[in-house]
Amino acid sequence: MNFLMQLFPGIGSFFVQDPIIIGARIVLIILGFVLAYYGYKRTLEPLIMVPMGLGMICINTGVLFLANGQTGTLFLNPLIADPTSLINIMQVNFLQPIYNFTFSNSLVACMVFLGIGAMCEIGFIVCNPWTSIIIAIFAEAGTFFTLIMGVWCGLTPNEAVAVASIGGADGPMVLFTSLMAAPELFVPISVIAYLYLSLTYAGYPWLVKWMVPKKYRGMDILVDMPEVSKKSKFIFIVISCGVLCLLLPMAAPLIMSFFLGMAIKESEIVPYQELVENTVLYMATLLLGLLLGCLCEATTLLNPKVFIIVILGILALTVSGVVGIIGGWVVYWCKGGKNFNPVVGIAGVSCVPSTAKIAQHAVEDENPFAVVLPVAMGANIGGVIVSAVACGVMLSTLGFLQ
Amino acid sequence: MNIVMYAGMTYGLTAIISLVVIALIVVMNKFLGGNSQENKEDMN
Repeated sequence: MNFLMQLFPGIGSFFVQDPIIIGARIVLIILGFVLAYYGYKRTLEPLIMVPMGLGMICINTGVLFLANGQTGTLFLNPLIADPTSLINIMQVNFLQPIYNFTFSNSLVACMVFLGIGAMCEIGFIVCNPWTSIIIAIFAEAGTFFTLIMGVWCGLTPNEAVAVASIGGADGPMVLFTSLMAAPELFVPISVIAYLYLSLTYAGYPWLVKWMVPKKYRGMDILVDMPEVSKKSKFIFIVISCGVLCLLLPMAAPLIMSFFLGMAIKESEIVPYQELVENTVLYMATLLLGLLLGCLCEATTLLNPKVFIIVILGILALTVSGVVGIIGGWVVYWCKGGKNFNPVVGIAGVSCVPSTAKIAQHAVEDENPFAVVLPVAMGANIGGVIVSAVACGVMLSTLGFLQ
Repeated sequence: MNIVMYAGMTYGLTAIISLVVIALIVVMNKFLGGNSQENKEDMN
């Protein structure tokens, strides 16, 4: 009997509690079901009643035995005997709990990716799938070049993988990869990555001007947006998410966050879309910036490896940009010089949507009527997918280097 | 495995997996009746 109570504490608790409490629990479980059902039927306000009903059911069914022998739930009752000690460890003055609960487990990266997913339009990549992904694959070269250089500069393979992820020019990906591969260098890598990512807006236009002659920069691209229904887009998203998670379980949290954001957008759940696009994304970005600043202690940045990371970071983004534009030229030549502008190559660097805007501005400077933004956004979203794949592949195969 | 081989292998794997995902999108698009700009250009 004791064994069964431990095995099924929710049921077991009914045998040890006061009969009045047991009666109240049963009434509340039934009431919770009634509220949730009439919320679903729109007889009651669904936005409140569905979660409230479910909460009522869960809090009254999910009862277990706590460490001190009393009954409670994991929703509200801590499993430790002295909650004050936990509060002391967490230093609930300000940022320490946020760091522990969102940074050290890379939840913040998933939250940012969720928001980016909700802002991405999959139609852009469906419009030009092969062009987008080929450019994105070219623009990922900086990651793998920096990986080699990192090991040659004396970093361990794990550290080199973490630094190399800057080449994908994707902030959440850098956070996630550095936390997984080299948590001891996570702070300098993330700070340097975000610093450089904000500098791409200033640096990449010069790279475009240097690599694409003026007469090619003003070329227009005729864009014909595809006829894809919302249902089809939703199916693409779900299947792509499943396949990528199946292939790359190491990056599954990030992949799921990104595609969940896209799914929310395509399924038009307006309140969730607004929540994710505005609250979640901006809250995560605010905390990200603030915490990265607060983590910049002098001792952290005086690590001798920081100088190597500074050099490798700029190298990674430069190589990705250069090879991305080379990818743009390759696509231009493959299309016989028709209906494509090699400037789009820079958008393969997945800094959504900065690099796509850089491509559009570079084209506009030469021809105010030319529009390349839809094609550039396709390459940009392709870049996000390729950098997620690259991150998953490197994290999954790190064992080969040990 | 040395680092150059490893980088080449991971770059190749990244490219293959990305292309597989895109191939899936293209096939699904055709299957569900959609039409990409690239398909239209091919038809023309």
